[in-house]
Amino acid sequence: MAYNGGAVVAMTGKNCVAIACDKRLGVQAMTVSMEFKKTFQIAPKLFIGLPGLATDVQTLAEKFRFKANMYKLKEERELEPRTFAHLVSSTLYERRFSPWYVEPVIAGLDKENRPFIASADLIGCLDFAEDFSVSGTTSNQLFGMCESLWEPDLEPEELFETISQALMNAVDRDCLSGWGAEVIVITPDKVITRTLKSRQD
Amino acid sequence: MLSTYPGQPAVDHPVSAPIEHRFDPYVDNGGTLLSIAGDEFCVVAADTRQSEGYLINSRYVPKSVKLSDKTVISMGGCYADCLTLTKRIQQSMEWYHHAHGKTMSTAAVAQMLSIMLYQKRFFPFYSWCILGGLDEEGKGAVYTYDPVGSYERESCRCAGSASSLIQPFLDNQISFKNQETQRRNLSLEQVLRITKDSFTSATERDIYTGDYLEIFVITKNGVQVQKMDLKKD
Repeated sequence: MAYNGGAVVAMTGKNCVAIACDKRLGVQAMTVSMEFKKTFQIAPKLFIGLPGLATDVQTLAEKFRFKANMYKLKEERELEPRTFAHLVSSTLYERRFSPWYVEPVIAGLDKENRPFIASADLIGCLDFAEDFSVSGTTSNQLFGMCESLWEPDLEPEELFETISQALMNAVDRDCLSGWGAEVIVITPDKVITRTLKSRQD
Repeated sequence: MLSTYPGQPAVDHPVSAPIEHRFDPYVDNGGTLLSIAGDEFCVVAADTRQSEGYLINSRYVPKSVKLSDKTVISMGGCYADCLTLTKRIQQSMEWYHHAHGKTMSTAAVAQMLSIMLYQKRFFPFYSWCILGGLDEEGKGAVYTYDPVGSYERESCRCAGSASSLIQPFLDNQISFKNQETQRRNLSLEQVLRITKDSFTSATERDIYTGDYLEIFVITKNGVQVQKMDLKKD
């Protein structure tokens, strides 16, 4: 889990959710890339963040893209966040005894535009949160930041500031994460993606 | 019973077995401590839970000790080592008083503690120390240590089991890291509020932190102690 490093965090707001990740890819202490994003769009208002072993991150991102596309073709409707969370869970549990080394975070709005966030461990044990979900090598620092910065019913702009501050200050205390960040805020009528410039050390 | 070796009678009890000898002199008693330096004050705070694994030994064992009217020490890690180290510091401070007819300054205690820790370089005290107080000019001072005595003067520091949760929050709220706002000096009220918020948040997620929060406020008028409840689960 700590081979490549990385951090992902998701937060709920008032009729909105946000998901953010750092952009570092490393091989233990050596930084290899500063453009390695860990969040992937699954549906118009649904994202997944995949921190962990980079090779599994890419494999699973493709796997989930394939499964989500198949779902849409067969069912002729959008994939709901809760449905997708269970799809992620069963995909991971399928490999119970030789797992994918990822700890996914899911964030999205459901068909009534209610916020949904969830996280899972590497074998698919789901954790539905009302407030925030954190994952990756920076999870301790993110827990500390989120627990003290987050409050209920944040508006999209406030949510953006909160999640950005939580992520940036957390990764600055982790040598395996950082080197820029990406924040995605999902609202009922638009998805706002912003790239953050942060400390490069 | 079958014999192990042909021609020898079977033995149904072990004749000799290897015995493993080991010495485990350390235990982690958990807990979190922090210190923040202000313009003319210093705050030293620590929770009072003492645990061993999943067991809570006590809900009230203070981690901070007042050393003088200007200096407070706070320690976490192995409680036995912390006790011994505190006694040694107090002893040396008394000798200093007798020899020189004055109490040790915060900077002098800081230097002495570093030496005391390094003296045990190859059998260290398992202790995370933070020394808080006022310097010679009356300004707030925080000195932080690793278990072998490497030390540094800083403006704020958190150590112990929830340090990874609280330190990034202090970077953000005390040192204004990643913020556009100009760095400004915080008042005692603001610092106390941030301290209390840090611990209530850490208590939510760290099982080794909780029960009570004991805060030492060091000003030119001396040391005041206040206590606050934390969650006990």
